Amino acid sequence: MADEDDDLFSPGALFQIEEPVRERAGTRAAGRGIGIDLGTTHSLVAIAPSGAAPRVLEIDGSALLPSVVDYRDPSRTVVGRDARAHQVEAPDRVVSSVKRFMGRAPADIDFTHPYRLDGDDVLRFDVGGRKVTPMEVSAEILAVLRARAEKELGGPVGGAVITVPAYFDDAQRQATKDAGRIAGLEVYRLLAEPTAAALAYGLDRGDRGSFAVFDLGGGTFDISVLRLHEGVFQVLATGGDSALGGDDFDRAIAAHLLGVAGIATPDARQHAEAMHAARAAKEALSDAETVGIDLARSGLRAHQLTRGVIDEIMDPIARRSLAPCRRALTDAGVDVRALDGVVLVGGSTRVPLVRRLVMQLFRREPLSGIDPDQVVAHGAAIQADVLSGSARPGVTLLDVVPLSLGLETMGGIVEKIIPRNATIPIAARQVFTNYSEQQTGMVVHVVQGEREMVADCRSLARFELEGIPRLPPSMARVEITFQLDADALLTVTARELMTGVKQTVEVKPTHGLSEDEIDALVMESLDHADTDFEARNLAEARVELGRVALAIRTALAESGELPGLLPDDERAAIVAVLAEADAALGPTGPTAAKPVNAVRERLEAASEPFARRRMESALQSGMAGRTVESIESAIDQDEALDPKRGGHSASTIEPAS
Amino acid sequence: MDAPSHFVVLGLEPSFDIDAAALERNYLGAQQRHHPDRFAAGSVAERRAAMETSAGLNEGYRVLRDPVRRAEYLCKLGGIDLDVTGDGGAPAMSQAFLIEMIERREALAQTREHGAVALDALRERVELEREQTLDRAAAALRLGKIRDAATGLVELRYLARILDEIDGGA
Repeated sequence: MADEDDDLFSPGALFQIEEPVRERAGTRAAGRGIGIDLGTTHSLVAIAPSGAAPRVLEIDGSALLPSVVDYRDPSRTVVGRDARAHQVEAPDRVVSSVKRFMGRAPADIDFTHPYRLDGDDVLRFDVGGRKVTPMEVSAEILAVLRARAEKELGGPVGGAVITVPAYFDDAQRQATKDAGRIAGLEVYRLLAEPTAAALAYGLDRGDRGSFAVFDLGGGTFDISVLRLHEGVFQVLATGGDSALGGDDFDRAIAAHLLGVAGIATPDARQHAEAMHAARAAKEALSDAETVGIDLARSGLRAHQLTRGVIDEIMDPIARRSLAPCRRALTDAGVDVRALDGVVLVGGSTRVPLVRRLVMQLFRREPLSGIDPDQVVAHGAAIQADVLSGSARPGVTLLDVVPLSLGLETMGGIVEKIIPRNATIPIAARQVFTNYSEQQTGMVVHVVQGEREMVADCRSLARFELEGIPRLPPSMARVEITFQLDADALLTVTARELMTGVKQTVEVKPTHGLSEDEIDALVMESLDHADTDFEARNLAEARVELGRVALAIRTALAESGELPGLLPDDERAAIVAVLAEADAALGPTGPTAAKPVNAVRERLEAASEPFARRRMESALQSGMAGRTVESIESAIDQDEALDPKRGGHSASTIEPAS
Repeated sequence: MDAPSHFVVLGLEPSFDIDAAALERNYLGAQQRHHPDRFAAGSVAERRAAMETSAGLNEGYRVLRDPVRRAEYLCKLGGIDLDVTGDGGAPAMSQAFLIEMIERREALAQTREHGAVALDALRERVELEREQTLDRAAAALRLGKIRDAATGLVELRYLARILDEIDGGA
């Protein structure tokens, strides 16, 4: 809070909040996109370059890379099957099922696990002196997948589509995207796993229809209802349980086996052995009726386990998936008889008991032509190919936000701002007023969840707005805009309506890492020497700047046909920065990436209002066959746009602001 | 209104009686052209513009598709914003109406004691009342009587709250 009144009205002094780090512009690398299924128990990478059929790349002879990272050797990590082989002997230093920890604080972890956790807000695994975040553990897995794809593509990866459970909240998605960045990947898009599965089945090639995707993986359960119509794939509703999966079957079967062996309090090794046997038995009993069990460490020999027994053990767990299914159908407004198909995803859908329950609920035989372990990676690869700029015809994917976003109000009650299952991207605004003349700051607490009390929801971010002008009660008005992007990641913008000062607040989830910490990790993870890295950055920066400059020159040339789209002073400003760009790209230009990027950012900033108007006019003319005059008047309206002065309740915003 | 209305954005005439098929077609068509995924390789400015355009389409579709939200939005275009109190805001309800609502919510507790059948019968009655109130508001909108429509829509909000309580408190 600035004490001098002079500061209050000078731009930038209002809110003491850092400018967000601008994201790099996307890079076009047609055919170099990769699809990654970052799973709880296994991860996969698939490619489908330039329209080709998707194919999963094998690592160590298997399509499935166990999502396990071995930290026993402080100088190097091992990922995959070799890491899993050492879980029993070093359960606290070999990390598995890291997906369950993504975007979580230590206080959120309410399930049993063998790790030593550290940290208050940001959770860290203590793996023998070293402390690593779940993002870093995931990045180790992603790096292996990236390296495999690079080998296959014979060069660098353009970008990745990483799948997440549809049920993941903002913190979990942000953590996943950060993990991608730490692994040196440009994340084109976080794609909901069920949407990926539907794409893989080519359901987009049919005309239209409604589909349910039932996804029971190792650690998470998702149900989504999708609709295809007019070339748009729409997620109508989604639900699930982020702590229900095949691992729960394994744990319950293991507990049963240890009970038979008479072990009441197993040690870590006995537990790990029983888990291993349980998983093997579950898989074997998907085909066989009976299987033999040996638990050497617990003294259980030649025990016969039947499918009937494990079905009884698994039944109450599997049934937990049914209520979310019914709720998703209700939310989607789709009757079970009106569905055109049910897709099975996840290794746990191989369990006959699960298939039986799905058939009973949906009253039809599910689709299962593609390996349920690979189907998500196939879909991710297809979408990555589309987003890389290859000529593959794509459908538009409209996702929904899985959980409501709200704000804390007086008394710890949640006021919902964006409802569950709203189609994204979406924006909403809320106006806050001061309650006294003495109030110069306000705390904004963003939560996600369906419950009414803040304490029962998930805290996403808490930040304080400072520098509110001293005005009589209810006279100072701060408008806060919540914007969810196509990945369901949140940005918050605050604007004081008196002064019009606008600041973008970088909402990093409470349990995440700061931009600086991520950048540091990105640097650390790079194998290249610093100079190589800088040279690559410079080359990329120059390519980017050249591309942006070209796009703007093309747009400037076209704008001659639409007078009014670009005022003369704005054109002059853009032309001036274009000259700077030419100088930066010339032989005497800078030799570091940073100044080149700075020019590109100035160029983008100078042309942003122009780009926005072009987009709007395209929209208007496309929709209503409008003439040039009405486009101009639409622009006039836009420029006259007055900050909306809403009431005290949430109100959603108008399309152009 | 500050910005182009949802009706303009979605290529429809502002009216309570919209062509649902045209809304669907225009929305999906515009999303295909403006979704951020189409600009994955675009500049920051292009991607942000696409995101905002796409968000505006989603919001417009959400509002216009739902008859109650559509009616409330038409009132807002007509100068009465139901989310605001005071001038230009929701019409003040009569004392008699407010007392009736309090009494009905009190009566709900007794109905609940009579069991699920009584509760179902009450729900059906309130739902019918809600439909009739919406029809009245729609008729007022057709005649350009924004204030009458707004009054009906506020009543509708009270009825919706009663329905929530019927289902929530069980």
